[in-house]
Amino acid sequence: MVLRQIELQNFRLHKNTSLNFSDKLNLIVGGNGQGKTSILEAIYYLCTTKNLNLANESDVILFGEQYFDAKGIFSDLTENQTRIFFDIIKNKKNFFLDEKPIFNSSSIIGKFPIVTLIQSDHAITQGAPSERRRFIDSVISQASHTYLEMLLEFNKTLRQRSSLLLQIKESKNINLFSQLEAWTETLITTGTEIIKHRIRFVKEFNLYLHEAYNHIIESAEEPLIVYDSLAEDEEENAAERFREELASMREDELRRGINLVGPHRDDFIFSINGLELKRFGSQGQHKTFQIALRFGQFFLMEEKLGKTPIFLMDDVFGELDTYRAGKISEYLSLIGQAFITMTDLTKTEGLKINAENKLIKVSNGTAAYA
Amino acid sequence: MLIAEPLQKAIDELSKLPSIGNKTAQRLALHILKSESQTVDALVKSLIELKEKIRFCEVCFNIATEEKCEICTSPKRNRSLMCVVEDASDVIAIEKTNEYNGLYHVLGGVLNPLAGVMIDSLKIRELLLRLQGNDVKEIILALNPNSEGDATSVYLMNTLKNLNIKVSRIARGLPIGGDLEFADSATIGRAFIGRISIQ
Ligand SMILES: [Zn+2]
Repeated sequence: MVLRQIELQNFRLHKNTSLNFSDKLNLIVGGNGQGKTSILEAIYYLCTTKNLNLANESDVILFGEQYFDAKGIFSDLTENQTRIFFDIIKNKKNFFLDEKPIFNSSSIIGKFPIVTLIQSDHAITQGAPSERRRFIDSVISQASHTYLEMLLEFNKTLRQRSSLLLQIKESKNINLFSQLEAWTETLITTGTEIIKHRIRFVKEFNLYLHEAYNHIIESAEEPLIVYDSLAEDEEENAAERFREELASMREDELRRGINLVGPHRDDFIFSINGLELKRFGSQGQHKTFQIALRFGQFFLMEEKLGKTPIFLMDDVFGELDTYRAGKISEYLSLIGQAFITMTDLTKTEGLKINAENKLIKVSNGTAAYA
Repeated sequence: MLIAEPLQKAIDELSKLPSIGNKTAQRLALHILKSESQTVDALVKSLIELKEKIRFCEVCFNIATEEKCEICTSPKRNRSLMCVVEDASDVIAIEKTNEYNGLYHVLGGVLNPLAGVMIDSLKIRELLLRLQGNDVKEIILALNPNSEGDATSVYLMNTLKNLNIKVSRIARGLPIGGDLEFADSATIGRAFIGRISIQ
């Protein structure tokens, strides 16, 4: 799948910007705050209905204007148009697929697959476990709508159960125990499915990660993700282990009035050659791992969805050493359409800037082909 | 902008109805305003009658015109089967399938601690009382497939376990009458996860 063109109106600094894209590399070059990342932001909106950096829609509107409007034309087997329109007065985001309104963003999941490598990715390897859960959950969800639904339901069950735990804590009403048992059972049922999906996913994803990592750096480094859950990689015993763990934590849960057991507390341990990345990894290894995660995601999604995702890379080149920059340039030539922002063209010797690709210069909200 | 008070009042009342937004309420109010008096009278009368004549069956809590609903009083229904549902609209949905000929029990909701809906807010005690000394041999739990519906089903299964009555639960998965090719992928996925062994 490729994005042929976009049209932006009042989108960040872009008063009126229309661009046609190459179906290979699109290099978007410009200084900071000139409006190059907003082009990626618009592309991400058009693929997912969501903001790339979780910004508020009202912040995306050009200063002094009442709305923003972005349109994109994709071509795959057929041609599709998506459009996002936001009106400041109604404070409402409207998303259209071929001019028909889409009310539920999950209904377009997998239609316009996209993979992003952005600055905040550093949190995936360096941040809290919740960052790694969010990454893994988002990758599984993009390939499995079923997983996404179960995740939403699991979160609902968590909220209901913690509300009940809190009510028990406050009222000391033991008549509520029989209801707690029912919520616990529901938590185990959905939670176990989530654990099983994650176990299967990590097994499969490790192959893609290995492949991607070794493309970026030619050395004997072996990356690995280990899923740290209560089930310890054993799908068959997951429900039983979940039940046992809940039983042993029961007093604590009642005393504190919160959910203490389940996949919402799991972590994914990243390592290189058996050494935990978070504790022993160098800056370079972190960076390589983050990039490999995204390339791994790209090839996994391509395989699962039978569609080539769009690849976005925001300001990553500037941080790389020449060796990695060269390697990534080589790697980029293997994927389909990519959009890459950078402040200047240093370190891009490896990127073959030829007639197949497009170089777009952005300055103060105006974009021009160079 | 100033709107005549009686019109604003009608708009406000209409917009309290489920899935009626302000704009729709306004359109409805203006439509009623332009209609013939006798059309409006008929509408008002039907609403008043609805409220005066319809009540809840004292046995199963389905909607009824008498103390007991038509299903509870019908000699044709299979009295050994009972289907437990969340509310009266589910009775209508199941009746439309013409596949079920047993009795119903309407809970009037599902467990929802966040919204303060607890066991005592539902017609669960009434269900247990009803099961004492009657002919029900099988109970079918047909609650909505979401976390609240699931937790309520589990609670009922635990509670009914000792009554020596067969309890079953409708399979989670494909919508009734749905074609596999038209169901969304999540629904099909869930149907596979919730598959039932038949041997
Ligand atoms: Zn009745």
